Amino acid sequence: MNMHATPQRTAAETALIDAFGERLSLLPGDGEVMVKRDDAIEALKAGLPTKRIESWHYTDLRRLLTSVPAHDGAVQAKAIAPLLEGSTVLSALNGATAGKLPSIEGVTVQSLAEKLTDGSFAPALDPYGFDDAIGALNTAFVADGYFVDIADGTEPETPLELQNVQAGGQTHMRFPVRVGTGAKATIVERQTGEGAALVSSVSQLVLGDDAEVLWLIVQEQPDTATHLAQFKAKLGKNSKLTLFLMNAGGKLVRQEIIVDAAGEGAVFTLRGINLLAGDTHTDVTMVLDHSVPHTSSTEVIRNVVTGKARGVFQGRINVAQYAQKTDAKMACNTLLLSDDGEFSAKPELEIFADDVQCGHGATVTEIDHNHLFYLMARGIDEKTARGLLVKAFVAEVIEELEVEPVVEALEALLDGWFQTHG
Amino acid sequence: MPAVQDTIDRVRKIDVDQYKYGFETEIEMDKAPKGLSEDTIRFISKKKDEPQWMLEWRLEAFRRWLTLEEPTWARVNYPKIDFQDIYYYAAPKSTPGPTSLEEVDPELLKVYEKLGIPLKEQEILAGVQKPKAEADEFDEAGDNVYKSGRVAVDAVFDSVSVVTTFKKELAQAGVIFCSISEAIREHPELVKKYLGTVVPTTDNYYATLNSAVFTDGSFVFVPKGVRCPMELSTYFRINEKNTGQFERTLIICEDGAYVSYLEGCTAPQRDENQLHAAVVELVALDDAEIKYSTVQNWYPGDAQGKGGIYNFVTKRGDCRGKNSKISWTQVETGSAITWKYPSCILRGDNSRGEFYSIAVSNGYQQVDSGTKMLHLGKNTSSRIISKGIAAGFSQNTYRGQVSAHRKAENARNFTQCDSLLIGEDCGAHTVPYIEAKNSSAQFEHEATTSKISEDQLFYVMQRGIPQEEAIALIVNGFVKEVIQELPMEFAVEAQKLIGISLEGSVG
Repeated sequence: MNMHATPQRTAAETALIDAFGERLSLLPGDGEVMVKRDDAIEALKAGLPTKRIESWHYTDLRRLLTSVPAHDGAVQAKAIAPLLEGSTVLSALNGATAGKLPSIEGVTVQSLAEKLTDGSFAPALDPYGFDDAIGALNTAFVADGYFVDIADGTEPETPLELQNVQAGGQTHMRFPVRVGTGAKATIVERQTGEGAALVSSVSQLVLGDDAEVLWLIVQEQPDTATHLAQFKAKLGKNSKLTLFLMNAGGKLVRQEIIVDAAGEGAVFTLRGINLLAGDTHTDVTMVLDHSVPHTSSTEVIRNVVTGKARGVFQGRINVAQYAQKTDAKMACNTLLLSDDGEFSAKPELEIFADDVQCGHGATVTEIDHNHLFYLMARGIDEKTARGLLVKAFVAEVIEELEVEPVVEALEALLDGWFQTHG
Repeated sequence: MPAVQDTIDRVRKIDVDQYKYGFETEIEMDKAPKGLSEDTIRFISKKKDEPQWMLEWRLEAFRRWLTLEEPTWARVNYPKIDFQDIYYYAAPKSTPGPTSLEEVDPELLKVYEKLGIPLKEQEILAGVQKPKAEADEFDEAGDNVYKSGRVAVDAVFDSVSVVTTFKKELAQAGVIFCSISEAIREHPELVKKYLGTVVPTTDNYYATLNSAVFTDGSFVFVPKGVRCPMELSTYFRINEKNTGQFERTLIICEDGAYVSYLEGCTAPQRDENQLHAAVVELVALDDAEIKYSTVQNWYPGDAQGKGGIYNFVTKRGDCRGKNSKISWTQVETGSAITWKYPSCILRGDNSRGEFYSIAVSNGYQQVDSGTKMLHLGKNTSSRIISKGIAAGFSQNTYRGQVSAHRKAENARNFTQCDSLLIGEDCGAHTVPYIEAKNSSAQFEHEATTSKISEDQLFYVMQRGIPQEEAIALIVNGFVKEVIQELPMEFAVEAQKLIGISLEGSVG
């Protein structure tokens, strides 16, 4: 990692390195996995990323990560009700898989601990490029997770829900999912818990040719938790991935989205909502590679910033030299509702092919006074009118998902957030 | 698609080696020893006959520079620069007195002829040899009244301002326009007050280097309430081999004053890369306005990407007063590497910053350019229009920052950066940083990247216009928003330069 050598380790850095020494003998993995773990901790020893590292420019992890809780095996976390009714739930409670593995036709589910122990998962532990602090942290400590394989041509009847629930301490989980050729699935990733936990979670999705996936990430950590997450996906030919992301909690949150549109005709759609309150620092960083011709993507991120919250969106679209006919569009719109809050956006385009259509837009603004006046002129009080406008601003993104039960479930979450924070 | 193939062929064929302004003038030079040390700085300071405080200022910057690391964040690649292998001072030996124009070396005048730019400056310099005719013209114009379109030139030939025209006329209006060295000698109080207040000596690697070794540049001071009667202009030329050009420009507009400043550059053809690290500081006080326009056409290197100028420039304007305005307009067609971010600090309430840019890259040129708009005062606004055109094997990056600080109520920004790609071996990149810390801020940013639209091309060609002309028309339309911000004479040259830069690729 290209991290700056730091003269003195912070308390958090020391705690992480010490924790590795203590946990090492308990972590699953064969020789190869252990080598990867060692490499990862070596990378962390060079120091957590600072704002001098371009991809961490607005999230100075070294400064922001002030304390690291010890691993706590005693705390109990409970599974939660699924977001979508009738889902098959795979719960990971406080860093370990729990309950019986479900049997669904055409779907293989294994505990990741098993795949680490036998070493078959070792190659998938490689870091993503440079400065992959989340990947390194997770690789060093990952203890468990679910490995899901959806066979070619399969379309599971029920949505699949991956739950990652903590009740404190540290948890490091991974959720690799392979969706076979022509398979279709809806997958929900829930990230929640209580207490001041440190969570690292990595989801790895491989989409076969012609596969279709709707993946929902719902992050509702308590406002004391540190949540460092990564979603990595590789898209096959003519495959479609729709990723929905909702951040509505956490003290220090970084969600990385790393997508490689690697198959011709692949379509990637990202819709995101960041609801920021209190003194949260929430960072959504996306790196999207268009590596072959004829791929397309659209990304829309809507942010609401209240209180002393700080929001960050970094989105980079890379178009490789041979990825002609790429069509990529990205928008990041922010409602900054508080003078104590702040929002930073860095939408990047990096384009090496000429026959492309790429664009991005970013706005930061307050509620439109004309809209407010329009509603208030109709006898609606200011607070309600503001609430309506803010909700409409984000709900628009949810409605685009079009699948009715999904839209309803997400709107219910939205209502819940506005009731507590509105 | 025939259009694409055709364009690619043209890009391949393009002969970037045919640098129009590639010639070398043989004038004897007076050089400092090669390399950089405190002695070099003392040498420069002594040559310039500078007061002690100026030397101290330089030395402090030099000591600071020694502690800094060369920045690597820009999207440019180049072999490491050996700062000890550069001459930091070169002055033409036959320097004439700046007021007696007849003493100007004929070689020097030939340089202007060779520039061949159909600008007012050319006429004025030709007029220099016939001062009587010029004088008649002034008489006709009457006291203090100037014919529109007149331009004053402060020519920088390598590192020393050799000739300054129209000085007297400007002096009548109370405007000071001279070389920075002269300003340090003649107006130390002004220089002391403003130098380094916008770009401090500690600012960045190249600015700090410049502070230590700058040899010349322009100084403009427009007093309270004065509208500078003519457009001011400097031609920079890098002439002597291996001479780093370290210019320092300082422009101050007092309350209610206005000035339009034009900067244009050409340089002769070279094998070895040349370093140029200039600093430009603008200060606008209450109700003042500064318009700074640049046409940059330095040697971009040959067809293999060999040679060419390294252009690492720090340009910054400070809207210090209320209702002040600073506007940057740039047309960048030259240099092997451009690293340049003309910025505005919008400190005064209701101040306004503007940035209009065209960056054309061809061959193996690398451009990393953009702007910073820092909103500090209330009701400040800024506008950024950036047009990048990448052809050949070039890389063209827009990098910009817009930020609103906590107290910057009603900050307003509009940014548009569009890139056009010609050929499949070039790259266009957009890296904006948008930072809002005030809820009443309203920021809009949009960027697009595409190639010339087939539909547009078809539409134009369908009307019987040949393809090459059609492409030229579309590119001209693409950059029009920026071109129209340039002063008239510059607009003509800019269009010509864009044509030369893309010769063979878009006509």
